[in-house]
Amino acid sequence: MIEYYTFKHRGESESYKDEVYLTVVPSVTVAVFYGSVHHDKTIVSPEVFSGLLAEVSPDLDFNRMCSVLDERLPGNAEYLVLRIEGKSIACFRRGGVSAKLVINGDLRMLPNGIFGLNDGDRLVVATDKFFSCLTDEGILADALVTDSCSEWMNLMVRRISDVNQLKCGNLSAVTLLVK
Amino acid sequence: MPDFTLLSDQIILLIQIAAGLFVAAFLSFIYVALTSVMSLIHLKKIAGTDTDNLLVCDVAYFHCRGKRENQEDSVYISPLEDSFSNGVIAACSDGMGGLLYGEVVSRYVVERLGEAYPMKFDDPEGVSEEIRKISSEVYEQYHLGAGATLVMTHIMKNMMNFYSVGDSNIILLRKGRVTLLNHKQNYVSLLIRKLAEGGMDTSEAYRNSRAKALIDFVGNTETNVIHTSKPIQLYEDDIIIVSSDGVTDAVSLNKMKSILSPEFSAQHLARLLKSGVKNKKLPKQDNFSAVVIKMDRSII
Repeated sequence: MIEYYTFKHRGESESYKDEVYLTVVPSVTVAVFYGSVHHDKTIVSPEVFSGLLAEVSPDLDFNRMCSVLDERLPGNAEYLVLRIEGKSIACFRRGGVSAKLVINGDLRMLPNGIFGLNDGDRLVVATDKFFSCLTDEGILADALVTDSCSEWMNLMVRRISDVNQLKCGNLSAVTLLVK
Repeated sequence: MPDFTLLSDQIILLIQIAAGLFVAAFLSFIYVALTSVMSLIHLKKIAGTDTDNLLVCDVAYFHCRGKRENQEDSVYISPLEDSFSNGVIAACSDGMGGLLYGEVVSRYVVERLGEAYPMKFDDPEGVSEEIRKISSEVYEQYHLGAGATLVMTHIMKNMMNFYSVGDSNIILLRKGRVTLLNHKQNYVSLLIRKLAEGGMDTSEAYRNSRAKALIDFVGNTETNVIHTSKPIQLYEDDIIIVSSDGVTDAVSLNKMKSILSPEFSAQHLARLLKSGVKNKKLPKQDNFSAVVIKMDRSII
């Protein structure tokens, strides 16, 4: 079972240009789109991104889905897609979105590829903007003192708030816990 | 067969003594070799890994009154000679200002930690339960009329668990980054959560007059002990500071980053931190205490 919690914050921006996409059936697919990184204009709208994922994610295997996204999204679109099936996780990232995995008392960035998962493993997927106000040690400590995804997210948001009172533009993140 | 009958009794005695000495030396050599191998096996067992990678704690502390009349901070460091088998526990308790008996309570907290030593490293829930028990004992005695904060680290085999109640500090300096590991249990946390969930910025939370008010402490009923459920990996040159808020009121985390370097010993780091607080010359300097732990590579 996968527990998850999403955080979407507009900040002081006029609009929310990122997107957090999440489905749990037939398999868990998580995607974070970093639209707000393009300050002048959004290269593709969040709705287009989630619409495209909704179209391709249920029917295609992970590699095929990533190929389709790669073909149909502009070259400078920044996003990360994860698919969790059973005890394995597949990751594909492009640009300033990354996934960090809590493992053996440490925090590691998840590279592109397929990896095994164990019960109790925790992941946070977020934009570079979200991670820029945090240290790996802070993310790790927050993960290890909480027992739910929402609590973990709340503690990280508290850290970001201590830096900029959440007045830093769009913030987007998902926490995941394997149970 | 050699014929010894031609040798004098004196020579035979000397040969017997020489043979005895040789046997004794040989047995001593065997004993030393065996004990060396056994201790190496023991160390490998403790480290759970190659002994070349074993880190040891270099520990120092300071405990100062500041401008206050009483010393309401108390510090505890577990016996370092037992560090291989029981780990290193460092704790700091800060008696709550505004309440009576702050000095007594913080001292009681660390004395009770000493009584609870050794603590099971692999049972953070059990250790938290012990802290809750101490909190209940304080509550039974003072009925919210007195309390203290508590921060505690337990380091074993390059791994660290931590425990926190209230608003004292557990700080980790690693590779030029400085991080407050524990969250302070004060009212601003609740306000921030409420504002963030509403999609608002949180500046209003920090302006609240009760922002720094504690929402939990040792001596409260049903104390919530913030603790790691699994330990954090430590690395060579990590610096851990377990301190009361009198330290961070005077020296910000960013300032710590600039004055504390992993090339120094724990004693030197503690001296630098203490000087940093003193040099700030705050007119109402609170009690300030800290245990500084520097992770060093052991050479075996």
